[in-house]
Amino acid sequence: MTEKKSLIKGNGGQILFASIISILIGLFAGIVVLVVVGMTNNSISGSSIWDGVRLVLIGVFNTGRDAAGSLTFGFNPTFFGNMLFRAMPLILTGLSVAVAYKTGLFNIGAPGQYLAGICATLFIALSIPTSSVPAWIVWIAAFFGGMIAGALWGCIPGLLKSLLNINEVIACIMTNWLAACLVTWAFDSSKLKNVIDGTKTGYIYKTSTIINDVIVDGTRTVVGANIPEGATVLATRGGVATPKLGLDSLFSGSQVNGGILIAILLAVIFYIIMEKTTLGYQLKACGSNRFAAQYAGIPDKRNIVLSMALAGALAGAAGSLYGLSGNTEFFWTTYQSLPSVGFTGIAVALLAVNNPIGVIFSALFMSLLTINGQQLTSLTAYNEYITDVIIAVIVYLSAFSLIIRTWLGKRRKKRDEKSGPAKGVQA
Amino acid sequence: MGEKVPESSEYVIEMNHITKIFPGIIANDDITLQLRRGEIHALLGENGAGKSTLMSVLFGLYQPEEGEIRKNGQVVKITSPNDATALHIGMVHQHFKLIDVYTVLDNIILGAEDTKGIFLTRKAARKKIQDLSEKYGLKVDLDAKIEDITVGMQQRVEILKMLYRENEILIFDEPTAVLTPQEIDDLMKIMKGLAAEGKSILFISHKLNEIMEVSDRITVLRKGKYIGTVNTADTNKQELSNMMVGRPVQLVVQKEEARPGETVLEVSHFCVPSKLHNRNAVNDVSFKVHEGEIVCIAGIDGNGQTDFIYGLTGLEKPNSGSVTLCGKDITQNSVKRKSENMSHIPEDRHKHGLILDFTLEQNMVLQRFLEPEFQKWQFIRFGEVRKYAENLIEQFDVRSGQGPVTQVRSMSGGNQQKAIIARELDREKKLIIAVQPTRGLDVGAIEYIHSQLVSQRDKGKAVLLVSLELEEVMSLSDRILVFYEGEIVGELNPKETTVQELGLYMTGAKRQNRKGGEPA
Repeated sequence: MTEKKSLIKGNGGQILFASIISILIGLFAGIVVLVVVGMTNNSISGSSIWDGVRLVLIGVFNTGRDAAGSLTFGFNPTFFGNMLFRAMPLILTGLSVAVAYKTGLFNIGAPGQYLAGICATLFIALSIPTSSVPAWIVWIAAFFGGMIAGALWGCIPGLLKSLLNINEVIACIMTNWLAACLVTWAFDSSKLKNVIDGTKTGYIYKTSTIINDVIVDGTRTVVGANIPEGATVLATRGGVATPKLGLDSLFSGSQVNGGILIAILLAVIFYIIMEKTTLGYQLKACGSNRFAAQYAGIPDKRNIVLSMALAGALAGAAGSLYGLSGNTEFFWTTYQSLPSVGFTGIAVALLAVNNPIGVIFSALFMSLLTINGQQLTSLTAYNEYITDVIIAVIVYLSAFSLIIRTWLGKRRKKRDEKSGPAKGVQA
Repeated sequence: MGEKVPESSEYVIEMNHITKIFPGIIANDDITLQLRRGEIHALLGENGAGKSTLMSVLFGLYQPEEGEIRKNGQVVKITSPNDATALHIGMVHQHFKLIDVYTVLDNIILGAEDTKGIFLTRKAARKKIQDLSEKYGLKVDLDAKIEDITVGMQQRVEILKMLYRENEILIFDEPTAVLTPQEIDDLMKIMKGLAAEGKSILFISHKLNEIMEVSDRITVLRKGKYIGTVNTADTNKQELSNMMVGRPVQLVVQKEEARPGETVLEVSHFCVPSKLHNRNAVNDVSFKVHEGEIVCIAGIDGNGQTDFIYGLTGLEKPNSGSVTLCGKDITQNSVKRKSENMSHIPEDRHKHGLILDFTLEQNMVLQRFLEPEFQKWQFIRFGEVRKYAENLIEQFDVRSGQGPVTQVRSMSGGNQQKAIIARELDREKKLIIAVQPTRGLDVGAIEYIHSQLVSQRDKGKAVLLVSLELEEVMSLSDRILVFYEGEIVGELNPKETTVQELGLYMTGAKRQNRKGGEPA
């Protein structure tokens, strides 16, 4: 009985409550913006404002407009599936930031590690011929290859921090741009640029695409699944997308695949590592008080590198799973911008107060907002960036969640005092 | 000043029936403190007894729930430190509030400057300070920068600051904690001089020797309650400490003659580089510690003791020299390897001793969580950790709000230290290094820690103690090594030496010839 009580009134409950308050205030602020924008914009009518408010809150349940032109709501498997699909990399980059944070490190390098991961994954998945190696082995190699690449990339700021005491934030920002340039260069000089679909330029083959290396009329060339007559097939590559595991029939018309389950599984595994194992204990000890850890004989330098490597592996896995989704196209000239999913990971971790399980839910919430934002754009005259405003407010407020928590703590103390003297120090 | 002081009241300050309640705790419960004009009144109590709260009430930082403050018999309202200053109440804080890069003169006049237009005029101030300095025997160099002068002189600057502002009620918050024996003697003289000139002094301390020497009357607080006010002439140390703790306290460390056995630790020609300058912080130090004895490193803070312990325990890399522990050369070993035969109660319990955001039980296994008792397949055995922590908590009487799951940050300093001592002593290592183990603790906790160290010695452990408290050095140790500027300048037997002689070694005025750093 007392156990249960302390769970609700205890620290965990307070943290959760503070996050929920942040979300509610964020949504409220977003609605205020919606209304203000709607009232000052001539192209948005009163009913559009009401539509916008509903879409921002529950756009994922929207099923389009009926004949009369008013919004209808219900379970929409496509949007739901897409929400899960978008949450998949966010869970992993959020985890990446959260794990590093528990060791006292701010991993702002998730975008770079994500790029390292997606780069390694695409190279492995599209280079190993599936004609001679089973596709599932290629898939595993590509997935772990991406994780390892991310881990190695995360090690760089980790090593700089532990050996030379260089601030990890600065090192991470530099390695981000280094990754962006290196990845652009690597794909630029590769033979993985999509020449078969040919509709758009600047993209890499999808991992689900079947590519055949053939010899036609004595010249070696690359073709798609349709092999021209008289051609000799040298090798077949590609076709190594993550299995759907039946999720596609559950959420028909969406991009979701088994990757979301892997992401959730990784979150649970990292929860166990951080909370139940000696490794998590060591990492947290180094994060809370590096000197005390050092004094107790815990190898703090090793743990800093290890923590960044784990964080990198998680961000790498995000890139890896995204690349292996099969229906995603990778635009390889990334040197001018970094993937936003890496930075959103910071917001996801903040909102989840760095709790690995909380990360699952905050990532789902973030992707829900994105889906709602898309509905807002396609069904009303609003601009989808309004959801970015909401996300920004929520992120700011989750930084305030400490203040909210202190406030909650004070209220609790006052209540306790009224109902009786506080449980004093046991004699 | 100009105002006429009505001489109607016997007391210059009266705090009558002060009650101050914080959520969940009554910090001051009906406390009365009456300060006579020209007396030195000591406020005595353990940590958490409510001394600081009471002084904060007097200073206007807190508003009491009940009670009144009178000055010269008139009820006054003190709602902010500015009110206190206007009533000529001044305070020397434990940690000085001086600006390092300013001169002494500028520090004294800061906030009460004479100006001509936008320019400072220091001439009149200089004259006034020089007069005060002569009158009360407060020797200071007005043009020296604070960073260049001794701690003792910094304190005199603080006192001059109060006098310059014409304060008549002077509060000294633990003023002797940072001083050498000679400086303490000087301070006592200064305080007596101030009182003789009509200043009224409130002296906060838990050092009984000083209180007995300097004060006229003593008010004792315990756990927020007023215990009593006694005339110093009518009481003694034993009675005072009993009042303070609420039970009879063993003031003198009870111990038998040491019976040193085999050598446990041998340090030879040990040098540790300094972080501040190019010279060695520890230079050519050699000594031995045997089983069954307590060897104490004495010295003024900052003479290489901390660096020496860092070098010894592996937190810092030594330059040269060697350390042999239990017959093995451990000079270059990692912290973990070194700790195989060594327990270490660190100087800074918040920085090195504890992880404040962890729970008590998590802190108890900080060095041991990898041992098979506490993990299986790298999974922490929470049941075993809990059992072990509960056992230690009971054995060493560590008090906390929620037992093993208490966040260490929320515990009192004494209990935090007890937790470290429980953890370190339970590891049953041959050598115990204790660095200022009683710093900031009250009489009851000090008694406990001393008895623990003596019982470890009697079990045949070698104890290496580093202490800045002379009383502790004299009463606890079997041998004293005095550090001065990173070198051992004397090896003394506490039974054959005096505090005064020890002070001379500590300040570098005297040194023994220890050939090549070897024990004489």
